[in-house]
Formats: sequence, C-alpha cells, structure tokens
Amino acid sequence: MSDRKNRLRYGASEVVVTALLIVLALIVIAPLVIPLLFAFKTQLEFSYHPWALPKALLMSNFSDAWKAIRIDQGLLNTLFVALGAIATTLPPSFFGGYIFARYKSKVTEIAFYCILIGYFVPAQMVLIPLYKFEVATKLNNTLWGLFLVMATFGIPFWTLIYRSFFAGLPNELFEAARIDGASHSKTFFNIMLPLANPATVLALLLVFIGAWSDFLLSLILLTDQNLFTMQLRVNSFLGAYGTDRMPRYASAAVIAALPTIILYIAGHKWIIKGTIAGAVKE
Amino acid sequence: MSREQKPKARGVRDPKKGPFIFLFLLPAFLFLIVFMYYPIEETIRLSLTKTTGMGSGVFVGLENYQKLLVNPEFQQGLLHVFTWAFWSVLIQIPLAFLIAFGLTYYGNKLTGPLRSIFYLSNVMPSAIVAMLGKFIFAPRYGIISSLASAIGWKWLGAIDYLGSSNLAFWSVFAIATWAYTGFPIIFLMARIEQIPRELREAAELDGASAWRYAWSVVIPDLNYPIRILMVLSTVGSIKLFDLPKMMTSGGPGFATVTLGITLYNQGFVNWNYGTASAIGVIIFVLSLLFTVIQFTVGNKEGKAI
Repeated sequence: MSDRKNRLRYGASEVVVTALLIVLALIVIAPLVIPLLFAFKTQLEFSYHPWALPKALLMSNFSDAWKAIRIDQGLLNTLFVALGAIATTLPPSFFGGYIFARYKSKVTEIAFYCILIGYFVPAQMVLIPLYKFEVATKLNNTLWGLFLVMATFGIPFWTLIYRSFFAGLPNELFEAARIDGASHSKTFFNIMLPLANPATVLALLLVFIGAWSDFLLSLILLTDQNLFTMQLRVNSFLGAYGTDRMPRYASAAVIAALPTIILYIAGHKWIIKGTIAGAVKE
Repeated sequence: MSREQKPKARGVRDPKKGPFIFLFLLPAFLFLIVFMYYPIEETIRLSLTKTTGMGSGVFVGLENYQKLLVNPEFQQGLLHVFTWAFWSVLIQIPLAFLIAFGLTYYGNKLTGPLRSIFYLSNVMPSAIVAMLGKFIFAPRYGIISSLASAIGWKWLGAIDYLGSSNLAFWSVFAIATWAYTGFPIIFLMARIEQIPRELREAAELDGASAWRYAWSVVIPDLNYPIRILMVLSTVGSIKLFDLPKMMTSGGPGFATVTLGITLYNQGFVNWNYGTASAIGVIIFVLSLLFTVIQFTVGNKEGKAI
C-alpha cells in the first residue's frame, strides 16, 4: 500500500519536473522559432499584428535578406574554410600524437612540451603579429590564410587527443607489425591510423564546427567582401541593417541559422557524444 | 617473423627510426613555428615598443603596460570580464546542474530529446547568437518590446535594453546564458550518469528525497567536474569578444567593453600595435594562470581517486 502511494508521488513529481524541463526547452527553441512568425509578413502587417499567424506567405523578405547576405557565396566560402581546416589540422595532429605515444624518448618528450605550450596560447594573444605576417606574405584575404591559422590553434589539442588514443591501443599490435618487418610508416598507415578512427571522427566533427563558427580570426584576416564567411556576412548585416524592418531582419535570422540547425538535426547524437569525449579527455 | 627474433630486433639500432620521427613531427612544428612561436615572440617584442602602423618602432620598456593600467577602456574591460566570470559561475553552473539533475533523475523517454534541445543553442555560431540577441532586445520591434506592448505593459516595451549603459551588459549576459548553458548541462549529465545505480537504490530504500539524494550523493560526486566548469567559464570570460563586439561594439560608452574588444580597438581601429600587443600578453598571462589552476586542481583529484 505505502509502496503504491510512493510510486504515485514519484509519478506526480516526475510529471512536474518534466513539464518544467519542457518549458525550459521551449525557451531554448523560442528565439529560433519566433523569427518564422515575423518573417512572412509585410512591415505593415507586422506592426499591427506581430503575434498573429501571417495572412499570406510573403517571400520578398527572404529574397531581400538573401541578397543582403549573399548566403550562397557565404556558404561556399565557409565550407571551403572548414574543409581546409580539417585537411590541415588532422594529419599534423595524428602524426605528432603517434610519435608522442609510441616513440617515447628524451627528445620526443621535449618536443611534446613544445607543442603542449600551444594549447595554452589564445588566438587573441598573437592577433597583431599574425595580421602583420599575413599582410606581409599576402596571405590575408585568402581563405588559405584563414584556415592555416585555425589549424595551428587546433593542432596542440588534437595532438593531445591522438596521443592519448594511440597510447591506449594494445602494445602487441604495434610490436607484431614491427616484427613482421613492416616499416615505421607502413605500421602507422596500415595498422595504427585505421584503429584511430573514433578519434578521427571526433576531430572531423569538432574541427568542422569550430571553423564553421569562427568569428574573430575571420574578422581580422578577411576584408574582401567576396571572401566573407557566413558569420562575417551576418555581422555585416547586423551593422548595415537595423531591426526597424523587423520582418526582413527575421528572415535573415532564419536563413542564417538554418544551415547550423540542419547540421545539428543530422548529427546531434555524434556532436554531443564527441563533445563529451573531447571534454573528458581535456 | 617469429617470436624468437623479438629481443634481437629490439637490440639492433634502427637507422630509419630517427628520420621517421623527424618527418612525422615536422608538419606540426612547421605550423606552430610560422603561426604561433614566431608571432608569440613578435607580440612580446611589440608590446615593449611604440609603433603606429609602418616602421619597426622604438623600444619603450613597460610603458605600454603602465599606460594600460590607467586607461579607462582597459580598466572597464578588465572589470567586465571578471564580473562576467563571477556571474557565469554563479548563475550558469547551478542552472546547468538543476537541469542536468532533473533530466537524469527520472530518465524517461524525453531525456534524450530534451538533452539534444538544450545543447542546440550551444552549437549556434556566435554571429547567430548575437543576431538572435538583437532580435530579442531590439527597441520597439524586438521580442520583449512587442510582447510587452501586446499585453499592454508599455513601460516594459519602452526600455532600450542594448542602448542603456546600465542594461547592455546584462542583456548580452542573458543571451550568453541562453546560448552557453548547454555545454555544462551535457558535461554534468555525462558525469551523473556514471554514478552507480546501487547508490541511487540505497538512497531510495533509506527514504531519501530527490533533494537529499542530489545534495548528499550527486553534488559531492560532481565536485571535480564543477570545478573544471568554473575554470573553463573564467578562461572563456577572459577571452570574451564575439557577442559584445557584434551586439553592442563594446558600448554604449564603455558599458560592454572586454579585454578582447579593447585589444581590437587599439590594434585595428587606432592601429596602436604596441598597446594591442600588451593586451594580448595580459590576456595570455591571465588565462594561463587560470588554466594552471585547473591542472593543479585536476592533479590533486587524480591522486585521490
């Protein structure tokens, strides 16, 4: 009897807590959904009935916002930067991490600490010399110049991750391959690197998201509007257009947020798993 | 080929090993030398010189640093990042704990989807977060203002949240809380889910309430992850730039300047490389200080386990 009563009380508190959590979750989604309510209206309709459902699905706000942001060009640039960041962050990291895990000596230990230092250096510290260097070498205003810097600031962290991953693999595999006469590089490329796939998937995802979201480095290193990434385009939009024409602003918000939302819906399980794994290893 | 060869193979010096190690470390070092070590040396050198744009500048010792200490923009920036850090720790972490605990305590069908929703705002690029922030706080047509006028609360709709020097900082902080509480939530959930089931069952057999269980079992277990979150929050605050830059440009006046914004203004608006580099060095020293604290905290705990 008391057991049943307990369970009932448990049920009630579960309902209350879950309802509260749902309300909080709605608050998280609200700023992403409300723009949809504004985006299809004319300015006049919006000023009289901001919260009503739109009378008709007006598309001109979207085409205005699209022209203002040039999302197609922005997406291409951002994608190129993100893929470039992946291609230049991962190989140096898995090479380095492998050496630090499998070829331990005094020399490699010193090298490891040299790379570890990089983990503590925030990009803001070296912004001025980076800018000066890129101007001098004409790397600024190139997408290469941007993702090479992103890679540099990612390499220390991912070297750490790969190092702990390779160190966790059974020693027998490594020795067996070597005894079979496989060269150092063959052992790495044929046996060890494929085994590191979980770490590689993690790196692919998180480097992509990091490059995709970057603001500070892009802001400093790109001034040519044709090269602007999505985030720089959003920033210019914020500077150039006020919130007075709210329906157009809302359409721009929908357009700008949509790629990330789609990315997240497709990969949220991996993203959450990867973020937790990365954070725990940190 | 066979096991017997193993000791022999080990004893023989391998002439290919050295070049292999060198080749494999080369790419990482090339990147770091060009885009990190050299710029670090340059930042330190520049921070000790007086330069404007072209030319190599004059060595002035610590003058740039001394001038910063009495620079009102820098002082405000310093004050703001630590105020930000203080309230992030005090508001975002407890909030994240309550949500994480609520989500894991009952562990029903909604737990997974809700967790995904709570983390959604975290993957939004800061430019989008800034855009949505302006959308919420805009005068007249923003979400708050138009909701307020819809229910007839004119006074609430008349407030200029981002334009008032008293409110701008807190408005930016509010949208940051919206955006960045997702990470501590999933981080704490991952830890809570590792607590053995038996502890929970034992607590329930003893008739412990959810609060009692949270207080006596879960929070002591989260001691270490919570301290990590505190340090991550603090280091993140020291580097704060994106949101105040895009939402308010540090204004009105100096109401939302941060160290990063002061650096940007000195370096890329005033072209005052020496002063900007000095701020860069200060940001590095401050964040290193707190990261070192994180690692010492981590080591102590590691030994205890």
